[in-house]
Amino acid sequence: MIRQLLALDGVLVICHFRDDGALVEGYGMLGEDMMERLAKFAHDYKRMVQGNTDQFSMFTGLPGWAPPRGWNVRGAQCTVCSVGNLVCFIDNAEASLNEVMRELTCASQY
Amino acid sequence: MSSLDTLKSLEGVSAAFEFSDTGELTNHWVAPDSNLTPETLDLLAHVFVANIAIATLQARGWETTTGQGGFYPIQGFTLVGFEWSTVGNGRQGVVLRNDVADFEAAYAALDGPG
Amino acid sequence: MSVYSELAVMEGVIAAGEYAYRGDRYNFKGQLSEEMARMASIMCRATTMSTHMQADILCANSDNCPFESAHGWIVMGPQFTVCVMANVFCFVQNEPGVLNRIFERMRDKLMDADEMV
Repeated sequence: MIRQLLALDGVLVICHFRDDGALVEGYGMLGEDMMERLAKFAHDYKRMVQGNTDQFSMFTGLPGWAPPRGWNVRGAQCTVCSVGNLVCFIDNAEASLNEVMRELTCASQY
Repeated sequence: MSSLDTLKSLEGVSAAFEFSDTGELTNHWVAPDSNLTPETLDLLAHVFVANIAIATLQARGWETTTGQGGFYPIQGFTLVGFEWSTVGNGRQGVVLRNDVADFEAAYAALDGPG
Repeated sequence: MSVYSELAVMEGVIAAGEYAYRGDRYNFKGQLSEEMARMASIMCRATTMSTHMQADILCANSDNCPFESAHGWIVMGPQFTVCVMANVFCFVQNEPGVLNRIFERMRDKLMDADEMV
């Protein structure tokens, strides 16, 4: 199912990871070993973002932030985006970040 | 700021280094018997910058929420490994052996005049 | 006697506690309110998560990495220092000798604690 996200412009890799960080499935232009690393990184990063969001909510008392749905980190050429237990790797020049985040949100609810 | 020479004299030290506000390594010394590389020290410098930023968020939030001061501004961060620890503040760091590490001396040296 | 209870009665310790890696359970002893201890647990858990991730990244591409896994961390403010090892946290006064004594005790008791689960 998530393989369909590769059809979006600029999506280079899409992976689904388990709650323990293990790779469930991954598609795109990375080898198995690198996809496993991406899954582990996304899992760790998700937990870190959860921790930071919890603290932000705790200190501000603002509703609507926790639990976080996802995150993205933008580099010069590429961006890593994640929603739920999905993570993808996109080319900034080709992809629409808005579209990718929207589709990731839909796919994370399958 | 203390010079690297001061940091090199800390007990159990295997590396002393300096870095920019954003964590890029700018100066370093590694003990002859250590296999630490400049690349590793550069990563450790980024660890300091990241964790001091998060600790600052925590200290600000804590002080606002509880009214208890004493944590802000953050003066340093240490990552503890099994055998080694790395101690740093905003611009400098050291790698120390845990069994002889004197953290108080390390923080004082990192804080000292250069 | 639990490690945090032992730490809580040591000289210079403001409070000590333990938190669950998952969920929001915690225990503590010392001069913190219940709400402050809950907040401290949330903050310590978050920083522990990120230091584990950082140590993994540090060592992902290098042999002989000195930080193969993160066992703890320390953060120092002008008056107080927080020292964390495994899932135990300790708030200490910045007084001569205190941090080193606390770290040594925590290292002896907690350095061999199981990996974070």
